[in-house]
Amino acid sequence: MPKPVMVVGGGIAGIQAALDLGDQGIKVYLVEKSPSIGGRMAQLDKTFPTLDCSSCILTPKMVSVARNPNIELLTYCEIKEIKGKAGDFKVKIIKKPRYIDIDKCTGCGVCTQKCPSKKVPNEFNIGLNNRTAIYIPFPQAVPLKAVIDPDHCLYFKSIREGKKGICRVCERFCTAKAIDFDQKPEEIELNVASIIFATGFTLDDPRKREEYGYGKYANVYTHLEFERMLSSTGPTNGDIVRRSDGKHPKNIAFIQCVCSRDELTNKYCSAICCMSSTKEAILAKEHIPGVKCTVFFMDLRAFGKGYQEFYERAKNEFGIEYIKSRVAKIEEDPDTKNLILTYEDVLSTKLVKREFDMVVLAVGVRPLHPDNFIPIEEDGFAKKKNIFIDPIATPYEGIYAVGMLGGPKDIPDSVTEAGAAAMKASIWAVKKVVEYVGRY
Amino acid sequence: MSEDIRVGVYICHCGINIAGVIDVKSVVEYVKTLPNVIVARDYLFMCSAPGQELIKKDIKEYNLNRVVVAACSPAMHEPTFRGVVEEAGLNPYLFEMANIREHCSWVHSDNKIKATEKAKDIVRRAVAKVRHLEPLDKITSEVAKSVLVVGGGVAGLNAALDLAERGFKVYLVEKSYTLGGYASRIGYLDKNIRGIELVRNLINRISKNPSIQVYTGSEVTDVEGSVGNFTVRIVKHPRFVNEACNLCGECVNVCPVEVPNEYEFNLVKRKAIYIPYKDAYPNRYVIDPESCNRCGECVKVCKVKAINLDEKEEVIGVNVGAIILATGYRHYEPQKGVLGYGDSKNVITLFQLQRILADDGPTNGELIINGSKPRSIAFISCIGSMNTLPDSASYCSRMCCISSLKDVLKIKERYPDIDIYYIYKDLRTYGRFEDLYWNSLDKAVKFLRYNDTPKVKVGKDGLEVQLFETTIQEYLAIPVDLVVLVNGMKPPEDIKDIKAVFKVSTGPDGFVKEAHLKLRPVEALTDGIYLAGAVTGPKSIIESMISGSAAASKASGLVSKDYISVEPIIATVNEDICSGCGLCASICPYEAISIKVSDGKRVAEVNKLLCKGCGACAATCPSGAMQQRHYKDIQIIAEVTALAKGVVV
Repeated sequence: MPKPVMVVGGGIAGIQAALDLGDQGIKVYLVEKSPSIGGRMAQLDKTFPTLDCSSCILTPKMVSVARNPNIELLTYCEIKEIKGKAGDFKVKIIKKPRYIDIDKCTGCGVCTQKCPSKKVPNEFNIGLNNRTAIYIPFPQAVPLKAVIDPDHCLYFKSIREGKKGICRVCERFCTAKAIDFDQKPEEIELNVASIIFATGFTLDDPRKREEYGYGKYANVYTHLEFERMLSSTGPTNGDIVRRSDGKHPKNIAFIQCVCSRDELTNKYCSAICCMSSTKEAILAKEHIPGVKCTVFFMDLRAFGKGYQEFYERAKNEFGIEYIKSRVAKIEEDPDTKNLILTYEDVLSTKLVKREFDMVVLAVGVRPLHPDNFIPIEEDGFAKKKNIFIDPIATPYEGIYAVGMLGGPKDIPDSVTEAGAAAMKASIWAVKKVVEYVGRY
Repeated sequence: MSEDIRVGVYICHCGINIAGVIDVKSVVEYVKTLPNVIVARDYLFMCSAPGQELIKKDIKEYNLNRVVVAACSPAMHEPTFRGVVEEAGLNPYLFEMANIREHCSWVHSDNKIKATEKAKDIVRRAVAKVRHLEPLDKITSEVAKSVLVVGGGVAGLNAALDLAERGFKVYLVEKSYTLGGYASRIGYLDKNIRGIELVRNLINRISKNPSIQVYTGSEVTDVEGSVGNFTVRIVKHPRFVNEACNLCGECVNVCPVEVPNEYEFNLVKRKAIYIPYKDAYPNRYVIDPESCNRCGECVKVCKVKAINLDEKEEVIGVNVGAIILATGYRHYEPQKGVLGYGDSKNVITLFQLQRILADDGPTNGELIINGSKPRSIAFISCIGSMNTLPDSASYCSRMCCISSLKDVLKIKERYPDIDIYYIYKDLRTYGRFEDLYWNSLDKAVKFLRYNDTPKVKVGKDGLEVQLFETTIQEYLAIPVDLVVLVNGMKPPEDIKDIKAVFKVSTGPDGFVKEAHLKLRPVEALTDGIYLAGAVTGPKSIIESMISGSAAASKASGLVSKDYISVEPIIATVNEDICSGCGLCASICPYEAISIKVSDGKRVAEVNKLLCKGCGACAATCPSGAMQQRHYKDIQIIAEVTALAKGVVV
């Protein structure tokens, strides 16, 4: 029997690595820190350049993970300690209390309707709407099980305040008897041959570029927020409306390279934003008939397969306007809450002021790295041993870093790296077995 | 119906998800009135352990042979309940799911009465169908524990090594007479690492691995069989020089024939007998039959009798479970006379520049063009890509910006006094490659942007690049000593043969199409065939190596199994009715249908392993000979009748 492998991160890269390993007959522990796998891709409405519905292509993979007998899914878990060496790592994992017996919970969702603590910002929708203290992360979550957020749960609040425990409404309504307020953090130790880190990314803080007014002007959005607005399962059911007045915008500006290609924040290019803004502009056109979309870019990084063609389509078929310019600043009209952009149109060398109803910032990515477990480069991405000899291997033998953790990249490249890591890890999984057979 | 059909129907409450809207009890009472229904029950959560036990108990107690569960979407729990039915001893395909949650209670919560009526309709449909369902057996087939890798570039080498190290037998077939591909010819991959070093490392490991059988100068001419079991015909072309060759080089000295050296991108010449490059693998001479005049001089001087001009091609047959296509790309070659290429020796391509900068290149790494060192260089990007020239591709070749800026920096490092103009259409140093751009700016490289393709004037005194610079909106004429045309990537010349032999398809860009652009980037649409490197489109060397490993992972997933089993819900042919018209074969997206001659009659044949059960053939068949199992006409008609006429037939 081959030794097991651990995959850390349940986004598309981690999912693919786990599926590839499982398919090779190797036991996999898929560790995800949030209550569901799916990652960033689950938050996207559609994907470029095919405009496939993101959930529709991702969900079957998530379900395959849940059904694969070789994959043990450890959601809501975090790595505490890694010891040992390639072929024989000992990993300590903390299983955070979910306060739900997941064997009993059927994911019916009744508890989430009854929970009186209803004003918790919904992380899945980037805080654009609220969830309850007991919640299911999103409708396609895997596992489709509820989780209690003790910070907002009225029962835990009252206990923390030294009062008599109140509420417990969820418990009363749960016909499956799945609520368990007594759960404690649990420590698990696992022995694995190899570890794949696929911990993904978050967006940098657009407030670092004060001149764009994010957080100050109501109608300035990040592209991930815009993505959730586009989604039919999002906070507005796919309706694109302004934060200030709930009206549909008549024109939208997409600003590229916010916290990317920028000496003050991140010098690297984030690799996905040119195409994601192109896609979002096309989708905006589909959602709001007649809306005008303008993309402000420095260079249009349409480098992947079908990307240049997609960009051409956006310009010619959908009439999206592309202006080569780094926007200098945004001001808000205090009455209309419209946004006035000041920029130099590079190709006409003119200084222009132009008003938009809504601005979407293509904010650069920041890797989410597993603290101290692997060495990190100056720019925050995982350090590699030798990118030309073994491009996904970290300096620690038997440990691999894939997806956004290794550098900005799109979904196909993340999926490809995940497959490659699964291959390398599988060699460790069988290598030791051969040696044991020889030794004992 | 000859069989005694005994149906059990189970209605799920799903907590209040279903029962909160639909009157479950009245659905149960209604179902009991339907033909062949022996037992009907409702339960809080059918998917829970007690719910599953309930079904199993009933199957045994009431001798049920058909089961319907009315609950959520089959995408959610069909596999669960098929498992339940199977555990109780029934064939798992004698089960039908009725979706009364997504299709009913969730969308009709505003009208409970009508929702209940609709739920009855949905369950009646399922009962009507389940009565006609037939038992189906899983289709299995043995898997050969070996893999064929086609292409000996970095993608193929990496894939072969991974699979061999994982424990599988690998056959590695390369068309040219050495392994290494384009990477061996690229002077520098980054500041320090040379292409040849990377290739040497891979070849060194390949040569030491007994699980890898290498065939150079060889081509795959025929592939039969399908996923898990391919029979492959390899033709090994004669090399005319055998293992006795001691690389003394006498043969080269006497060979009278000189032809352009393609390895050096025609910068220099080679003889008809030659070695592809120093440290090539296998490391011995080869005779190019196209240019050899068979004078026999080489045979005369060869002291070790290594040369045989009468060597014939050899045919080899191998059996493999999976195939990895790593057939690579071809560089775009500008036409003579375009942008001064061919008119002046001082207009070269990026690929040629990379040879010039290589230590083992024609100038030993010295930047010497036509006998002198250039004082100024203009790089012109997007040559062969982005519709820049009439014969250019419309796509972006992805790696040219990166590759050329890396050479710009190499030149600046060695010759800081050379002026460099980088004339680009769009600068695409994506991701962390942006460093190359920052560093080039630091080194005072002048970046100029064009929209309309620049012109290169070849004059007596040298070259002049003329362009309209878009960011300053001015016409510029720049005299330079050297022009580097940054050329892109194209599909290989023999892509038509690759398509025909391996039954893969290509997209509008001419590269091989993957099963899914986003989520299945290293799989072909044909099962058992995987794609590595630039076969699917332009990629950098690192990306090609990664995709080589990813393709190996997929192949490993296949050949690590002893048997593959596929869903039995596939198309079948009634040979008595089939007229062999072939409409089904032409519409099948998976190449699963062929027309065979059986008893002197043309009939369609379905490859059970390749068929995905999409049903396109069954819908197309004019005679009804093609039927989709589990969705046969009689089964679908029963469903439609139950829904439209309200009766179970």
